[in-house]
Amino acid sequence: MQKLGDFKLPQFFNYPPYFTLQPVRETRDKQVQLWKEMILDYCRTQKIYVIGLEEDFPLFTNHVIERSLSHEARQAFLSALVSDGRAEWMDKSHRKCLILWHRVQDWADLILHFVKENGLEDSVMTVEEIRSGIESRGTELHGMDRTVLMRALKLLEHKGKLAIFKGTSADDEGVKFSV
Amino acid sequence: MRRRPGIGGLQNAAAARDQFRALGDNVAKLRTDLMKEQLSTFRSQLEDFARKHKNDIRKNPAFRSQFHEMCAKVGVDPLASNKGFWAELLGIGDFYYELGVQIVDICLATRPLNGGLINLEELCKLLRQRRKTAREAVSEDDCLRAISKLKVLGSGFEVISVGKRKLVRSVPTELNKDHNEILELAQVQGFVTVEEVERRLTWSPGRAIDALDSLLDEGLAMIDDGHQDSKRRYWFPCVSSISSYVGTDTL
Repeated sequence: MQKLGDFKLPQFFNYPPYFTLQPVRETRDKQVQLWKEMILDYCRTQKIYVIGLEEDFPLFTNHVIERSLSHEARQAFLSALVSDGRAEWMDKSHRKCLILWHRVQDWADLILHFVKENGLEDSVMTVEEIRSGIESRGTELHGMDRTVLMRALKLLEHKGKLAIFKGTSADDEGVKFSV
Repeated sequence: MRRRPGIGGLQNAAAARDQFRALGDNVAKLRTDLMKEQLSTFRSQLEDFARKHKNDIRKNPAFRSQFHEMCAKVGVDPLASNKGFWAELLGIGDFYYELGVQIVDICLATRPLNGGLINLEELCKLLRQRRKTAREAVSEDDCLRAISKLKVLGSGFEVISVGKRKLVRSVPTELNKDHNEILELAQVQGFVTVEEVERRLTWSPGRAIDALDSLLDEGLAMIDDGHQDSKRRYWFPCVSSISSYVGTDTL
């Protein structure tokens, strides 16, 4: 099986027609489904959070068969992910897409779990510490995208599980847990 | 018997004819009886054979295929019913029934990709992958027998020949001669262009496009506009192995 780094590419990736948006409904639906799954899997395993439509995202081109997704096709597949709640457009012109291979709710659950695991129920931490502190090592929170992290934290704040506050310096947002 | 002239002679001839006729009937009956007896002997020998080689028949596809041929020669169909001697002895009815169900599943699962037409080789490959843990190996011959049983159910399953390949059709789509010729042409590279169809089959442009578009609409073809030469290619998943390009773990 062909690989991209350590990611096993599904075989449809090597079949040229899949790089052209199919006109027939049933065929198109299947095509979109396959691409959605592959994009999510790839982003999950490579920990990619943002896809730029005009950039060289590896999945958009297959050099072996010399095919590349048109802009329209990229839009179509990513829009499908957005409709599924697995992605969000970051700008009005749809140039950048935030990929939620974990939904925001899932990230929130992971944070809660992390808090409980480390006995941080009433503690205070900086936002940065959540994603790069020692406790985060070995967990999925480690190295996570800051935008996504903030979204998850805001969700939890809304549920009364924590409070976000500004620290002493601009970079230093903090979180007080009340789990 | 000597011919005697006169009425006496005629009567004798008539009597002789009657006797011959009776003899003839007897002989015919004898022959039939003999044949019946031979057939019944053969059948019971076949049954003994099946009993003795039950395991081989179950496990070895080549052996199984030859066994079927033998049965066919004597007019025995082990798959005719799920009850009775054969089914109980060999459990072979169950085997083909199970195969049939799996084949239907695979065809349904791959339908969105290939429009309901899958090549036999591909189908068998997927079947084997699915049956990895099963004891019995499966051959193309087994697939064909299972499919012929499916046909009896009127489920629209059929095996068609296109060029050198056998394709299994699981949708009511009828392929006309034009479609068949395109599929045969596509077997070479997996795809065709309008130009190629026109040229190789000496068709008018309208005819080629019509046929290709209807194949596209049926889900049997996919378009590819990505080649450098900008010529649209029509690819046919059913003549290549694309059907197994889907996560086979979903099957």
